[in-house]
Amino acid sequence: MVKVESLLKIFRDKKRGEIIAVDNLSFECKSGMILGVLGLNGAGKTTTLRILATLLKPTSGTAFIDGINILEKPDRAKERIGFLSGDTGLYRRLTPRELVCYFGELYDIPKKESNKRLEKFAEQLDMKEFLDTKIDKLSTGQKQKVSIARTMLHNPKVLIMDEPTAGLDIIASENIVQLIYEAKSQNRAVIFSTHMMYEAQKVCDEIIIIHRGKLIRSGSIDKMRSETGMEDLDNIFIESIREVI
Amino acid sequence: MNKVKTIYKKEFLDVLRDRRTLISMIVVPLLLIPLMTVGMSTIVGSQLKKTKAETHKIAIEGADNYPRLSEYIASTDGLEVVSVDDYKSAIADKSLGAAVVIPESAATAVEMGDSAVVKIYYDAAEIKSQFARNRITKSIAAFKDSVVSERLKVLGADVHILNPISVRTENVASEEKMSGYALAIFLPYIIIILTMVGAMYPAIDLTAGEKERGTLETILASPASRMEIAAGKFLTIFTASMITALISLISLTLTAKIGMANFEAGSSDIAFKIQPLSFIVLLLLMLPISCLFSATLMTISLFAKSYKEAQSYLTPAMMVVIIPSMISFVPGIELNFKLALVPIVNISLVAKEALMGNIQWGYIGLVFLSTAVLASLSVFIAKRQFDREEVLFRI
Ligand SMILES: Nc1ncnc2c1ncn2[C@@H]1O[C@H](COP(=O)(O)OP(=O)(O)O)[C@@H](O)[C@H]1O
Ligand SMILES: [Mg+2]
Repeated sequence: MVKVESLLKIFRDKKRGEIIAVDNLSFECKSGMILGVLGLNGAGKTTTLRILATLLKPTSGTAFIDGINILEKPDRAKERIGFLSGDTGLYRRLTPRELVCYFGELYDIPKKESNKRLEKFAEQLDMKEFLDTKIDKLSTGQKQKVSIARTMLHNPKVLIMDEPTAGLDIIASENIVQLIYEAKSQNRAVIFSTHMMYEAQKVCDEIIIIHRGKLIRSGSIDKMRSETGMEDLDNIFIESIREVI
Repeated sequence: MNKVKTIYKKEFLDVLRDRRTLISMIVVPLLLIPLMTVGMSTIVGSQLKKTKAETHKIAIEGADNYPRLSEYIASTDGLEVVSVDDYKSAIADKSLGAAVVIPESAATAVEMGDSAVVKIYYDAAEIKSQFARNRITKSIAAFKDSVVSERLKVLGADVHILNPISVRTENVASEEKMSGYALAIFLPYIIIILTMVGAMYPAIDLTAGEKERGTLETILASPASRMEIAAGKFLTIFTASMITALISLISLTLTAKIGMANFEAGSSDIAFKIQPLSFIVLLLLMLPISCLFSATLMTISLFAKSYKEAQSYLTPAMMVVIIPSMISFVPGIELNFKLALVPIVNISLVAKEALMGNIQWGYIGLVFLSTAVLASLSVFIAKRQFDREEVLFRI
């Protein structure tokens, strides 16, 4: 479903000069699979996921979403992607209904259909009583639910999430974890980044560990266990990074 | 194109729910214009009346040298002769309006048919001192005329021998034009600034505000293209700015109407009419300038990462507009071909003329076109910024 080919991203920063944020990265994520992207701060997780979501253009290399080259047909690719990041915000002066219908329109979903889907989310996520309250007045957990509805509204085949649980309390994080499991059960491809090993160990089918933009280890946790002889993902992660520095 | 409409509709709704935008777009123009107009007119009007009606204290040095003249001056309306030790310092500390110095031989000189030089000391930087001087000058001139006619009588000639042609001036400016002039000087400035401020909050809110709240990514990740996003946002800011301009002009027209009615009833100093044509011309002129402001403010704010940062960028940008728009305050600067090409200055000058009822279509067209060219350029630049990752994702 997602195929990343030799992705390279170089930032030109006035102070720091050239920064190779993503260095020749290739990986794959099939439908119904949860792929965890692990790395320290500054490893290049955000940059990679932003490129996949067509927010940034790669310096070279490309990726395919459902067979669509993101460089050639970014608009077609976007329709298949649900993107959510830890610091994604919402338009606070709109109500959840207005917000969801707005994005619905942008994804060419008729208003009636958007409302229908929204009612379904409201049922599942227990959002009914605040659908017409200004987002400004909602709690963090309630906002989180609106964000999930916004991400899933257009029924994306691929879910790309950049540290989606960062800064959330345990209940709100659990909502995200549920979302990930459900997406898997609906045969979507899920790629999410985190630096919480516990979370990754719990939900991921496969993991890629990146360091300074480079892929240093990839595969299922079981494969990594047998490669390193270690049980916990924490130790596997630390060991993998030690090996390259 | 459909998405531009979707984005525009949503952004506009969003902006309309922002208190800051509503205040700058509706409340400020509705209140500021009448307040400034009434304030300016009453202050200027009453001050002028007061000064004119006032009695000015003056001193006469050497009054005994020519008692007839000094008595004549002393008996003039609005002049009060006082005695001071040092008239120069008294004028400087404003306790004295002006001083007349009559030389020793003055009386003899005039009696002998000669000419005497009388000096008036005053402070040219003080409006009150100027009024005092004017009064003394008039008084002495009247006295001089009476001496001349005496001399002519002695010679057996008529006074008219000196006045083969007499001149009488008539002010053709209507009362409206006279007091309207004062307002026409500062109103273009107010309208230009308000139009800019009307664009400011939406511009920040829709760009840096989106970055700050983490919503920019979600819209960029949607199938709306960057071009459509930029267009939807620009049109929203432009609309807000034009609404501000429109409300300012309506507020101005209403203020003028009420002021004029009170003026005719004698209870107000505002004598100012906005002709329908002037209204249309002003609104027309605001189109390109508001477009220029909207695109420029959007570009600058997009560069910022937060609301605060954007505000700190826009403060100097504000000065760049304030100073040239104050050109209408400078007396004697008239619109010419070159000035008609200087942005903002041209709008200020042509708006001033239009407010005085002087519609110069040639210049209006030129100003409109030159600003429109600049506005198109700024829209083009704004659009380009939306394609630059280093602007959208600046760290
Ligand atoms: N817009 C940008 N301009 C310049 N450098 C950037 C930009 N975005 C990220 N970087 C740099 O690229 C590297 C990777 O960053 P990022 O992808 O955010 O890492 P992570 O998400 O894993 O913490 C870092 O060194 C970061 O400073
Ligand atoms: Mg990151």
